[in-house]
Amino acid sequence: MFKDIADVQTRLSHQQYIASDEISTVVYLAQSLCKPILAEGPAGVGKTELAKVWAKALGAPLVRLQCYEGLDESKALYEWEYAKQMLYTQLLRDTLRNMLGDVNNLAEAAQRLAQEEDVFFSENFLLPRPLLTALTADEPVVLLIDEIDRADVEFEAFLLEVLSDFQVTVPELGTIAAKHQPMVLLTSNNTRELSEALKRRCLYLYVDYPALEAELDIVRLKVPNLGPALAQQAVAVVQQLRNMDLRKVPSISETLDWARALVTLNAKEIDEKTLNNTLTVLLKYESDVAKARRMMGDGGSRGRYNR
Amino acid sequence: MEDRVIEFVRGLRAAGVRVSLAESMDALRAVEVLGIVNKDLFRESLRATLVKEADDFAAFDELFPLYFGSGGPAMQNASEDLSPDEQQMLQAALQAMSGRLQQLLDWLTSGEGPTKEELEELARRAGAEWADNPQQARWVTRRMLQQMGFAHLEDQIQELVQRLQEMGMSQQVIEKLMGVVEANREALAEQVAQQIGLQISQQRANRPEDLHGSDLMYKPFHSLTAVEMDILRKEVQRLVTQLRTRAALRRKRGSKGKFDSKGTIRANQRYGGVPVELKYKKRKLKPSLVILCDVSRSTENVVEFMLHLTHALHDQVSKMKSFAFYDRLVEVPNEVLEHIRHNEPDAAFETLRQMLPYRPYGTDLGSCLETFCQQHLNVVNGRTTLIILGDGRNNYNAPRIDLIKDLQRRVRKLVWFNPEQVREWGTGDSDMLEYAPLCDEVFSVRNLAQLSAAVDKLLAS
Repeated sequence: MFKDIADVQTRLSHQQYIASDEISTVVYLAQSLCKPILAEGPAGVGKTELAKVWAKALGAPLVRLQCYEGLDESKALYEWEYAKQMLYTQLLRDTLRNMLGDVNNLAEAAQRLAQEEDVFFSENFLLPRPLLTALTADEPVVLLIDEIDRADVEFEAFLLEVLSDFQVTVPELGTIAAKHQPMVLLTSNNTRELSEALKRRCLYLYVDYPALEAELDIVRLKVPNLGPALAQQAVAVVQQLRNMDLRKVPSISETLDWARALVTLNAKEIDEKTLNNTLTVLLKYESDVAKARRMMGDGGSRGRYNR
Repeated sequence: MEDRVIEFVRGLRAAGVRVSLAESMDALRAVEVLGIVNKDLFRESLRATLVKEADDFAAFDELFPLYFGSGGPAMQNASEDLSPDEQQMLQAALQAMSGRLQQLLDWLTSGEGPTKEELEELARRAGAEWADNPQQARWVTRRMLQQMGFAHLEDQIQELVQRLQEMGMSQQVIEKLMGVVEANREALAEQVAQQIGLQISQQRANRPEDLHGSDLMYKPFHSLTAVEMDILRKEVQRLVTQLRTRAALRRKRGSKGKFDSKGTIRANQRYGGVPVELKYKKRKLKPSLVILCDVSRSTENVVEFMLHLTHALHDQVSKMKSFAFYDRLVEVPNEVLEHIRHNEPDAAFETLRQMLPYRPYGTDLGSCLETFCQQHLNVVNGRTTLIILGDGRNNYNAPRIDLIKDLQRRVRKLVWFNPEQVREWGTGDSDMLEYAPLCDEVFSVRNLAQLSAAVDKLLAS
């Protein structure tokens, strides 16, 4: 457990994650209020990464549930293993015969069987999926529910019980409450509005693209081989690209990819040639690449794009 | 402090942020954990618990300093660094100044601004109690500053400088003095602005809810003011979420979908691979929509909401195309839809106007239907719901009933959204009474409530 907000920040930074004051405050609050965090923001700003480093910083296991359209309870919560149950019944037949060998009538047999009933309906036959795993774990875990906005509205409603009371209801067994409250992080790329009921149960964290200094820190931390001057230049280019009207602006992960590409290519500085060769690491649409080249006024596109 | 937080929550609600009781309790618990000593942490704990939408951050950032700020930047005492002689000179010069404005100069030089009571009295005289929306704040602030004498301040300062010069104060000291006065002037103006902002926010929170979205939904589109449109635009977001939830939960499932081989193998593992249970893919029936919008002046508001609602719900329909018509028919470009989605109606209609320039008595649905049938007939088929949004006023052009009949046969359903009241149909140049019987359904959509109910019904079918 984190002691205070500064502790959150240092321990996350030991895991190579630079947490802004905002992020560390919300993480600390989530832990002390026992509430899930809903993290929203553009893709690739480190929302999922936050859950990973959170788990690592606490030394807790990470349980991940990736959402997609059509995700339902049996894939998220548990499945009942009929096959195993049947197999057990088959294998135990001899034992049963021995046990029931000395009874005189049907009623007595039924009663004796009833005493052993629990064997056949026990958690042995419950195949836990991520949510149940997180709830029944013997130590507190970090539960990452990734891209909740991709799941159906029905699934969102189903999550409400898990998120507010940390318990689930399994028809065969009854209600299972969490042994330890898991720390929950939901992420959303905001492709659709989430329901108010869900938002109400969570702390809200909006993660945006970092400012120049913060991003430079991240690059320095993650790609230490990149020269300081070059890193500065690279981050400045990325920041400039983000201000342009592009179909998809580069995310932090793409900045890091680019930085690694620059290291691999042994670039001394970001000149026309390097930029031309590596721009596709940052930008994923042909029209964006063309636009960026035109804006940066380099020679690579002369004549073709300059009108 | 608790009272202040609760007051702040009321202020947020009045500014249109939705905060539930549970959330305000969370906020209080968070404050308990993190304390109030560190302002940044305090602010963060409130924001994470109260504001659940990035769009609402602006309102939060605006209100937070009003409720929890120190009331504006502090003023400094200008006479502190002066020698006793110079202080006396300043006093004398101030005494010699005339009347009401003397007090203002006093405040500015001494660094002791008006007391809270004085500020409140000044605000009352400036008419702050009658203002209840943030747009008025700037106006009230300006009036209050004027009453305090800011308008004539420049002259007064000139006069003061002159007097001090005559008394023989050195130029350097005067300049320094005036620097402090200038800083104090800005600080005082800021203090006044914050005081007014807070007062207006509190008044808005205490006012009965007369301007809220839920009531405005029933106000006819054509009589909405710009401010009310803004409130409604916020409301649309919520409406979309509601409609989506309803549509998803209620969506009809196809009676049988395709055979699901993967699902079957998975489900029958438990029987040792013997296919006992067969699985079928669930087939979700989503409507496919084609929308023709009349974009003449009179229907701008309703068109904006219509496009906003339907395109925000794009995941609940299988296919959607929108066309705008006026004297010609054009497909609504993505750019316009983007503008509408981001609540920038001016930019959206600007683009549309460039494509369809205004002409007096321009609307001509008949010829637009002809264009549609000639060029875009491929977008409709037996599964399409075709929606025509317009008042059916054709400026006495040919209504082309035959084309409507033809289209009605081709599509699954022809629906008409008319922003006029039923009794206005057929009056003047309206051909609505001729169109209406040919449509499968006709909705009168005079306000947002009717519009959303109609869209809801479309999604259900």
